[in-house]
Amino acid sequence: MPSSPPEPPVNRQTHNRPMSPSAARHHLGSLAKFLVIALLALGTVSLLLLALGISPATIAITLAKGSILSWQKFGHVLSIFSPLLLASCGLLFTFRAGLWNIGVEGQVVLGAIAATALLRQGSLGLPPGLVLCAAMLLAFVGGGLWGALAGWLKHRGGVNEIFGGLGLNFVAQGLILWLILGPWKRAGIASMSGTDMFARELWMYTPPGWRVAPAALALALAALLLSALLLLSTRFGLRVRAVGLNPLAAPLFAINPARTALAAMILGGGLAGLAGGLQVAAVYHRLLPPISSGYGYLALLVVMLANSRVSPVAPICLFFAALAAGAIQLPIALQLDSALSGVIQGSCVLSALFVHGWRQRLREAR
Amino acid sequence: MKQFTTCVRALALSCLLLGAGAGAAAAADYPFGLLMVGPANDHGWSQAHFEAGQVMEKTLPGAKMLYIDKVNPADRQGITVPMLVDDLVSKGAKLIIANSDDMKDGVREAAQMHPEVKFIHVSGDDALTGKAGANLSNLMGRMEYGKMMAGFVAAMTSQTGKIAYLGPLVNAETRRLAASAYLGAHYAWTKVLKKPEAELKFKVSWIGFWFNIPGVTSDPTLVTGSFFDSGHDVVISGIDTTEALVVAGQRRKEGKAVWAIPYDYRDACSAAPDACLGVPYFNWIPGYTKMIGEAIEGKWQQQFLWLGPNWAAINDLQTTSVGFMPGKALSADNEKALGEFQKALAGGLNLFTGPLYFQDGTPFLSAGIVATDEQVWDLTQLLKGMEGASK
Amino acid sequence: MLELINIDKRFGRLQALCGVGLSAREGTIHGLIGENGAGKSTLMKVLTGFVRMTGGEIRLRGNRVHPGGPRDAMALGIGMLYQEPLDFPQLSVLENFIAGQAGYDPAAARQRLARLARDFSFHLRADDLVGDLTVGERQQLELLRLIDGGARVLILDEPTTGISAQQQEMLFAALRRLKATGATVLLVSHKLEEIDLLCDEVTVLRHGQVVARRSRPFDRDDLLRAMFDVLPEREGATPKVAAGPPLLIFDRACAGSGRSALAGLSLTIGRGEIVGLAGIDGSGQNTFLKLAAGLLAPTSGEVRLEGEDCGPIRRPTLGVDTVYLPADRLTEGLFPQLSLREHHVLATPGRALLTPSAGLEDTRRAIAMHGIKGEAQQPVQDLSGGNQQRLLLSLIPEKTRLILMENPTRGLDVHSARSTWTLLRRRLEGQGAAIIFASPDLDEVMREASRILVFSANRVVLDIPAREASSQVLSRAITGQVDALVAP
Repeated sequence: MPSSPPEPPVNRQTHNRPMSPSAARHHLGSLAKFLVIALLALGTVSLLLLALGISPATIAITLAKGSILSWQKFGHVLSIFSPLLLASCGLLFTFRAGLWNIGVEGQVVLGAIAATALLRQGSLGLPPGLVLCAAMLLAFVGGGLWGALAGWLKHRGGVNEIFGGLGLNFVAQGLILWLILGPWKRAGIASMSGTDMFARELWMYTPPGWRVAPAALALALAALLLSALLLLSTRFGLRVRAVGLNPLAAPLFAINPARTALAAMILGGGLAGLAGGLQVAAVYHRLLPPISSGYGYLALLVVMLANSRVSPVAPICLFFAALAAGAIQLPIALQLDSALSGVIQGSCVLSALFVHGWRQRLREAR
Repeated sequence: MKQFTTCVRALALSCLLLGAGAGAAAAADYPFGLLMVGPANDHGWSQAHFEAGQVMEKTLPGAKMLYIDKVNPADRQGITVPMLVDDLVSKGAKLIIANSDDMKDGVREAAQMHPEVKFIHVSGDDALTGKAGANLSNLMGRMEYGKMMAGFVAAMTSQTGKIAYLGPLVNAETRRLAASAYLGAHYAWTKVLKKPEAELKFKVSWIGFWFNIPGVTSDPTLVTGSFFDSGHDVVISGIDTTEALVVAGQRRKEGKAVWAIPYDYRDACSAAPDACLGVPYFNWIPGYTKMIGEAIEGKWQQQFLWLGPNWAAINDLQTTSVGFMPGKALSADNEKALGEFQKALAGGLNLFTGPLYFQDGTPFLSAGIVATDEQVWDLTQLLKGMEGASK
Repeated sequence: MLELINIDKRFGRLQALCGVGLSAREGTIHGLIGENGAGKSTLMKVLTGFVRMTGGEIRLRGNRVHPGGPRDAMALGIGMLYQEPLDFPQLSVLENFIAGQAGYDPAAARQRLARLARDFSFHLRADDLVGDLTVGERQQLELLRLIDGGARVLILDEPTTGISAQQQEMLFAALRRLKATGATVLLVSHKLEEIDLLCDEVTVLRHGQVVARRSRPFDRDDLLRAMFDVLPEREGATPKVAAGPPLLIFDRACAGSGRSALAGLSLTIGRGEIVGLAGIDGSGQNTFLKLAAGLLAPTSGEVRLEGEDCGPIRRPTLGVDTVYLPADRLTEGLFPQLSLREHHVLATPGRALLTPSAGLEDTRRAIAMHGIKGEAQQPVQDLSGGNQQRLLLSLIPEKTRLILMENPTRGLDVHSARSTWTLLRRRLEGQGAAIIFASPDLDEVMREASRILVFSANRVVLDIPAREASSQVLSRAITGQVDALVAP
């Protein structure tokens, strides 16, 4: 029998891999694995840059200067970080339930649409804070319903959540275009540049000198804490994980896999919807076609890189947000295409997947 | 505890990857920023701005351009105009040019955040409407004239009498320009060729944005193709890129008698010279020279600058803000007629003169009345005789 | 001459084959028999290269060979006809015939197919869609394909399952013809009639070992004894519990379809009974268990738990009256990456908020009580099969009245199997519960059950108290010789 060293009880729960039947067993290897992933990603990107004749150090300095080395720039980073973290938290639920929720992108969009539906009405004589809270609630409901729809399609229609999600993403994109070019267009103008700006008092408050709305950041962090609590310290979280690990065994434990998966889709979609709500209320102050900023897809990378574990999600989101914000510097300072940051993100994820897969093979060969 | 250490590890990686340290950018006396909505090499709107900016670097002492292109939410996801302005300002930019109507809200917001920095919003009207602070000016060229010339040569050349206008999104500016092209065509058709008004067809289709965004806008290549398929033989492009001309060039190779008129950029005809009747273009050198020059000398003042062509030398880059470069496909006779038309415009011919009606039949200008600048700038509908959506 | 010498195969802890030897001459039909799980399929998979042996060698015409997969095996002239046809139903007969061949020459292939079909008197039309053929015709096509590919050693796995009597005749004729042309045929079967009819020699496997080799003429009882030979009763054999008041009642129940269907089943299972279900795999035992569990509703008739109103039986979970433990514990019963403690938390109702030590005490107590070798915080995939089974048993709450199990000691060694049964018996003490289990291992059924039901041909053909059962009676009933039928 393979020996397994006794381990501190508290971290067992975080150890999880929903998509594969056999999971990492040894925490001891965790640091080593992390270093291998980091070195591999760094090496790949550096080699690529050297091949293009660009100094990796220059890129690193440029990215850092554009993201974390001033409070203002860090504010930009945080304004990307907040919605990205929300979408990633949402995906934690679905990934741990064993669902590839590709539809997260559409859930972000629906959240944005739902929040806009309220915010474009103006403050309606109510305190702006109250209207904003209601808008965030609507965003959660909008995204949650979209998530529920994908879950329902899977459960009732037998549509794999990947295809259902993709389809719903297209529907969401069509819906937002229709709204912006149709019923919600600017007075006299039908353009891709979005709806009218919301009334000024309905912009989520950003103090002078800040570049991120404190409420947005607080909402994202609260969502992270709540997700961590739900996933790691409740019976519900354990059931979600159990269903993700082995839906076949769930009925024996009186767990309804379909219902649990649906709950995960609703919560996950709701959190993604909140991300969309922040995009309209705190970042763009209007609805525009690319309102999701691709954060849904980016969150997929985050959660894959985190291997569906809770603790690495926030740091990875911060890293990705820093890359995205810092990347603006590439064209300004170096006349390089800012898509380079996408290459760095992709390298990280591929390295992580490679290392996970490689370790798995090693373990199976043993 | 374990979770905490994982966090620390990940943060450490971020730092490792990002590196640390600071390098000072070479300081110029007067760095200015340019935010372009499209790619800097689009052979259209953005490239015209980019090249004017390069000229400023040579002609204005101390001027140094910082630029970011593809500034639109589809190309730069999650990035807003105020964020980019922050970046340019942190690089030392003292004046920032934003070249798209689409950036209106963002520029206004950024101007409030950075009162010490000067802003030029190209194609906006905040300085006119008073929505902006004193550090925000507007600059625009009177492209109406360019579009009238485009419409003029289109009607002079057309064999079918069916002219199409490939529009971007619908707003006051684009309605104004499409209407100008129509008025130019109408003038050529009825006054020069003396053909019946009813035989002139002028159709406008809007693709949804200033350039093609796959999956989001209509595809201008397909739209242009369907124009030609439905009997239109001249397409006037109102978008920033050259798809209309490219398609016309392909159709000509297949033996069709079709033409196109691109937009925005002086050398735009080079994409398919044989099909190009000419191009109305913006030349930002005079406007930039005036506004940035004043700013460098400390004489900045808020203004709404709407600059027209230099009628004496319509293609002189130092002095004209709007030009029309005749294309290879324009016949010598028609080029002569165009010269006459330009003379008439220079001599005071104003095509925005009544009687003119809106598309829905309501009167716009009664007989003999000349439109004010504001009426032209804020044109609320397409004109009677034009086919296509007004909103 | 095909020789298998001293073949060993281990799957982890499980010794599937142990020193198996077999030799088959050209021009003979060699039978391979044994009960479920005796190792027949594994042996054939070794021969076709699907499974790599852990010891021993294969010799073909005196040369040592190492088939690395079906393609290799085919190149060596070894072809296998699987129980389920492995063909492409969307393609035509001819296309299937060509599939897997090196070249592509449909015209020539069409001629070869026609000639072979004529030789074997098969009625196959080249352009028919394979999906429209019967199982027997697909088998014929597969056989021709193998012969055309040069197979000189043909392995047939239960070839008469699901084909008509007429097709069976055609198949047997074809096999005799192959034998006459000098091919070697290996026939894997349950059915002694087929062995009698076709085989020249027979090898009997039990528990991964060769227990008998016989040549024509065969003595059926002798073969049955070899297949099902019962181990000597252990000392202090567990006492058979007498049946108490009724617990589960089947009343003219019908359910299922095909081979595993059950028709008109009426019987009563009493508290305290341990009912063993025997029969060839898929003869209705599973349908019986699913009916009892309420996972399957009878198409007619009724199945009910005594004491419950006539409503349907509640789905079995840990926590209601009935629990149904699957045979494949790791895929259907446990969450491989979750710890023992987490399984206990999931199995017992309690608070919504969980601390990292929730359920720890209960788990440790259960570990001690059930003799599980493992830590409370260990993922269950690290446990051995026996410990996984004991964990599952430890999760069953006290109040459970009916325990249903498929193959309760599958993959367990003798010691683990014994301890599993000790724990199960403990469940019956004074609580009025009953256990129903299906097992392919006749020894286990006879040793542990107090009552035995034998399934064959959609019916319970034998229902007797275990003390009256002998391996001979049971094995005759299982192989469909229903002269010993005791009508239920």
